[in-house]
Amino acid sequence: MANAQNTAIDTGNKNKWAGGRSPFNISYGKIMMWIFLLTDTLTFGAFLASMGSQRFNYKVWPDPNHVFNAVPGLHGVNAPLVFVSFMTFVLILSSVTMVLAVHAGHYKDRKAVQKWLLFTIIGGIIFLGCQAWEWTHLYQEGAWWGSFTNAEISTFDKFFNTSRPNVSTVLAEHPQMAMDATHSFFNFFFTITGFHGFHVTIGVILLIIALVNTSANNTYEKRGHYEMIEKIGLYWHFVDLVWVFVFTAFYLL
Amino acid sequence: MSHHHHELSELDLYEGDQGKLYSGVLSHHEGGINSEESKKKIKKIWKVTAILSIVTILEVAVGLWAFNGHFHNYGLITYFLILTIFKAYFIVKVFMHLGDEKNDFVALILSPLVLLVWLVIVLLVEGDYALMMNSTFAETIKDLLP
Repeated sequence: MANAQNTAIDTGNKNKWAGGRSPFNISYGKIMMWIFLLTDTLTFGAFLASMGSQRFNYKVWPDPNHVFNAVPGLHGVNAPLVFVSFMTFVLILSSVTMVLAVHAGHYKDRKAVQKWLLFTIIGGIIFLGCQAWEWTHLYQEGAWWGSFTNAEISTFDKFFNTSRPNVSTVLAEHPQMAMDATHSFFNFFFTITGFHGFHVTIGVILLIIALVNTSANNTYEKRGHYEMIEKIGLYWHFVDLVWVFVFTAFYLL
Repeated sequence: MSHHHHELSELDLYEGDQGKLYSGVLSHHEGGINSEESKKKIKKIWKVTAILSIVTILEVAVGLWAFNGHFHNYGLITYFLILTIFKAYFIVKVFMHLGDEKNDFVALILSPLVLLVWLVIVLLVEGDYALMMNSTFAETIKDLLP
């Protein structure tokens, strides 16, 4: 045992690539969180790239300004992009409160960590609520996984920008292709925003655990540092980062 | 437990909790959250918040303008992609603190993303090719098929 201990102490002087401290000067947990986020980036990237492939496979594609034009409480009002812009803003702000929690953790300011974690949790829950409303709204419009496989043109032509001549031509001459594109669009929409919403849900659960640990259990004071807040923070920022790309891919392009 | 001058040996740090090696104990943040250094960092966070908000507003504004003007072209797509990557850069660098890490670590995390660039190009080209085949070759031979 004495030898083992000596070995452990010696690692401090060892070459970094031969088992000494991390060459990156980051703890194992943080490195692994980054590696996990990297793999998750590849997953989300593959989802979005395959949606791009499908989009290029059709002459027409549903127009986001026509699909996402509703706002809660304003029935029948045509307000493209308004609601999703609000959702995006909520997520950006929750990312800001998260980084402020991480910052407070660096200075071991327990009260500030609690405050900013609470704001971040509220932001996450508002975002999830908005997404639930949007999903419900689209479901009522007839959209779901596997929808529009055998549908009348009147049920899906509202999703297209028919003021563009090439789009109206395809709808008139190849309604089958427009229906297939709508089918594909909504499969990707519910899969990708669902996978993202799942990430947000996990994030909110992790944040609640961190808040309980900070408040009731005093875990991080006992531990001597708030690195767990940093690790959860990395995950939360990633969720925001993915949304930046989802926002562009679904709502802008 | 509350010995103020208790020296942490490297062994303590390794056995119990590696996190102590790098944050809190060893990476010092002098002064409290109201120190000058801290205030400077908070100011930077709010500056990035302003940048992200303004860029999002620019995206939505141009998106609505293009929608009402009924145009959709490669210039617009390039504009959205550049602003998206611009936002991603600030989130990763400042919010995720990747800008504060060692250069080798930044390279470790970012270099595999080249694979994604390749994947996007390949899948878009493939989708375009499939459409071309469906609307030319398949149209031509469809009467010959049983």
